[in-house]
Amino acid sequence: MKISIEWLKEFVDIDLSIPQLIDSLNNIGLLVDDVDKRKNDVILELETYANRPDSNGHLGVARELAAIVGKPVKEQNWPLVENEAKTADLIDIEIYEEDLCPRYSGIIVKDVKVGPSPDWLKERISAMGLKSINNVVDITNYVLFATAHPIHAFDLAKISGGKIIVRKANKGEKLRTLEGEDLFLTTDMMVIADEKNPVALAGVIGGENSAVTEDTRDVFIESACFDPVSVRKTGKKAGIQTDASYRFERGADVSFPPKAALMAASLMMQFGGTATQGIIDVYPKPKKARTVLLRSHRVKELIGVGIADEFITNILTNLGFSLENQQQGIWQVKVPFFRVDIEREADLIEEVARFYGYDNIPSMVPSYNVLEYTRDVKKSFISKIRQTLFHHGLDEAVNFSFVDPEKDALFKVGLVPVEIRNPISEKASIMRTTLMGGLLENIIWNINRGAEGVCLFEIGKAYSWEEEVTHEDTMLGMAVTGNNEPQHWQAKTEKEDFFHLKGACEALLSNLGYSAYSFEESKNPCFEPGHSICIYYKGLRIGSLGRIHQDILKAYFLKDPAWAAEINLDVLFEKQPKAFHFTPIGKFPTITRDITFIVGREVNYQDIQKDIRELQLPFLETFDLQDRFTGASIPKRKVSLSLRFVFRHPQRTLLAEDVENSITKAVKMLNAKFKIELRKGGKIDK
Amino acid sequence: MKKLKDKIRDLGRGFKKDAAAVKTEIEIKKLHHLYLSRKRGHMAGLFEELKKVKPEDKPEAGFLINQFKTDVQEKLDSLKAALSAPKTKDAKFDLTLPGKSRYWGSPHPLVVFQERIESIFQSMGFTIESGPEIETDYFNFEALNFPPHHPARDDWDTLYINDDILLRTHTSPVQIRVMQKKKPPIRIITPGKVYRKESPDPTHLPMFYQVEGLVVDYGITMAHLKGTLEYFLKALFHDKIEIRFRPSFFPFTEPSAEVDIECTVCGRKDEKCRVCGGGGWIEILGAGMVDPQVFKNVNIDPERYSGFAFGLGVDRTAMFSYQIPDMRYFYENDLRFIRQFSRK
Repeated sequence: MKISIEWLKEFVDIDLSIPQLIDSLNNIGLLVDDVDKRKNDVILELETYANRPDSNGHLGVARELAAIVGKPVKEQNWPLVENEAKTADLIDIEIYEEDLCPRYSGIIVKDVKVGPSPDWLKERISAMGLKSINNVVDITNYVLFATAHPIHAFDLAKISGGKIIVRKANKGEKLRTLEGEDLFLTTDMMVIADEKNPVALAGVIGGENSAVTEDTRDVFIESACFDPVSVRKTGKKAGIQTDASYRFERGADVSFPPKAALMAASLMMQFGGTATQGIIDVYPKPKKARTVLLRSHRVKELIGVGIADEFITNILTNLGFSLENQQQGIWQVKVPFFRVDIEREADLIEEVARFYGYDNIPSMVPSYNVLEYTRDVKKSFISKIRQTLFHHGLDEAVNFSFVDPEKDALFKVGLVPVEIRNPISEKASIMRTTLMGGLLENIIWNINRGAEGVCLFEIGKAYSWEEEVTHEDTMLGMAVTGNNEPQHWQAKTEKEDFFHLKGACEALLSNLGYSAYSFEESKNPCFEPGHSICIYYKGLRIGSLGRIHQDILKAYFLKDPAWAAEINLDVLFEKQPKAFHFTPIGKFPTITRDITFIVGREVNYQDIQKDIRELQLPFLETFDLQDRFTGASIPKRKVSLSLRFVFRHPQRTLLAEDVENSITKAVKMLNAKFKIELRKGGKIDK
Repeated sequence: MKKLKDKIRDLGRGFKKDAAAVKTEIEIKKLHHLYLSRKRGHMAGLFEELKKVKPEDKPEAGFLINQFKTDVQEKLDSLKAALSAPKTKDAKFDLTLPGKSRYWGSPHPLVVFQERIESIFQSMGFTIESGPEIETDYFNFEALNFPPHHPARDDWDTLYINDDILLRTHTSPVQIRVMQKKKPPIRIITPGKVYRKESPDPTHLPMFYQVEGLVVDYGITMAHLKGTLEYFLKALFHDKIEIRFRPSFFPFTEPSAEVDIECTVCGRKDEKCRVCGGGGWIEILGAGMVDPQVFKNVNIDPERYSGFAFGLGVDRTAMFSYQIPDMRYFYENDLRFIRQFSRK
């Protein structure tokens, strides 16, 4: 809301400098966003709130300032030059919807000379950021910005039958607005109609058919009150918001319509007009002023500081409230009609606090008592996962939750996506079903900016419909591509690959105590066939990992291969990880034995691992894959594997015999299950 | 005895010669083996012979053998040390070459900043609560005292799934969910993603992060709200930061406040400051005393309990704190941006 300081002075005497005035307004919650210093005036841009429609006019702001400086708002006189006619003889008003239009007032100004506005009016209108149209229309806008009460001017000659009807639109009715837009009305829209047709959209905009033009002689001034919800619905349906509807949908002062009509008519006297006798005022169910109980001890309990009763009564009285003291520190407070926001005691307490000054309220941290301890397992797990992934050289990403439906569909994750009805754009119109798309987007972004390799992860939600309800799962997504940039001059550049991601997955699962994971080769439409595995924890599928399918790479304009993984953390965290216990540290020396053998390529290392574990070899501390080799010396479709076994006895030094038995057992098993051939010194040892 | 003495002397001469010829570590190892091996070394041989020496000669003989053994051991050690010592004669090694490093991934700045905020509130005993991002109109608006068709809804431009389901526009619905299931005392913060129908520009995005908080107990006042938020802002920025509370409006709080901090970029001195626009203040938090209607909606008696709530934008505050000019950087995930926060 634009506020002209010169205009304000017509309502209240202010002897504050501009900075003082701005500070005073800020302190009571009327935030000054901008100050525009003009030749003869200063225009403030005020931030106003949805609950304070009164502050959308100079009068309302003047009332607040008057309460600060302790001066009354100036009373203004609005004299009329009356003609012979009685208003009620020339116009008849009928309200069909009394709930939606509690009051309708009006007056007629005859023989107005419609033309350009005088300079003083033009100046006010331009200060509000509007263009001057003609003197009559400018007066209606002048009244609106002066008082926050919207009024409308009709060309009386164009009101058929001299009749104004406030009603819902009939089916099939049309209205061309002042802006020249054709509206097809529906029966839930409120209109002002004459005997035949709608002439205005009630509280929103006038119709072209009844508009004041250069040829207009007699003007009917409408000054009414409309129901906020009705105006809002009507305006939304028509897709129109005006200065009038903006105010009506926030609530209007029901006591004000006759005053606004009088003010407008009086101002129009300047243009040669005369007023009809009597303001017509249809107010079928006059409203009673609201009363609210205020207890001074509640003021203290909510604000945290005792405020003198005298301060409370003074400030509320200055603001236009009337107080009836019931007993010491308890008042029955009568709320003025222009304060539509005050309904409860808390609302009054805010008034007291605003003028007491938020800066004067003491600042104290309460002595917070200790609440019951609850461990946030999910949060601590996620924090551990992040640390593990940083260690594996993955950077953290955060992407938007909404994505391009066409790209999301490429991953074929098998979830029903949640669509946004009014998206920002078509390319952001569904909630993601996978995190992989965003990460690939980030990869190409970085590649295009010169990155040689990109390794990213993101922890966030994926969304879907499940039956009739929306479902959100916390996911971990990872993606890698390109060169693993050497971090120092002695290191060699390595290509990113599948095993970097797999290692990260294994590490994060082990670190959380989910060591009993396993991987199964599987078909997954987003990965290349034969380069795709699923991750399981105790038989439960928790995620997948693989090389991104080339069709998807193409869609993201990626030339080099990329690998991605996704783990459903909500599913994983439902499982109880293995509790951590200390393992005694062995005191006796270890014996290490390597066995190297050739085996068919179709054999999975995971199977070998599993079968060796199942042997439960005595004193075996660890075993792992030491080397894997294929080359000229190895037959086709075969591979050479070296396994390293480390043995240790908990209570004594191991003997060679202890170990040989175990190795023999392992070799025998491997032979029987996987048809291995042992190698020694590079040769096959038969 | 003489025979033994001669042998020690001969072996000593032989060792001296061998030692003088040594050039590599392997040769040292060989010598070690030759002289000192417990089973087959010369020393072992000497000790074997010591057994045959007359008892009266044994002390002297033992002394000689031990001395010889020590000499050999020391000589071999010093040879070894000399071999591994840096060669001063060679061209000087360039010690100014960069040290080795290992790449650690960088955390995302929004996550870093959110954790910073969380830890300050955790120090005051707040716990962290979360809830769904796809919400119902009831939890996002109605329970928070936004009647249907209220124009206040315009300030929270909403992305809808259907008439009843929407993307939460703030994390306040989590407060309602917590108050529905927990009785006071309540002291929580609710961080998370929120959504608004906003066209992207440097200071507005359709998705961003928020941290909201709620305290409900007996005797909670606006003075407590001020104290708690001042503690928070001083911890987040610095101890001397100037803070301003001014009245505002939110449907879910009454009285409501907005909290500004002085612009630390210009120190409230630059009328053309790029960050604060010359106003000298930066809007950081919205806050207020929980509206009695909100309490009624979750069956908490507003005459018995009172409380305060607050909220701040993580992105906005991080932008101000790190002086990032454009909010969109956060969601581009450019490595040149993210990696700057490895130190954070």
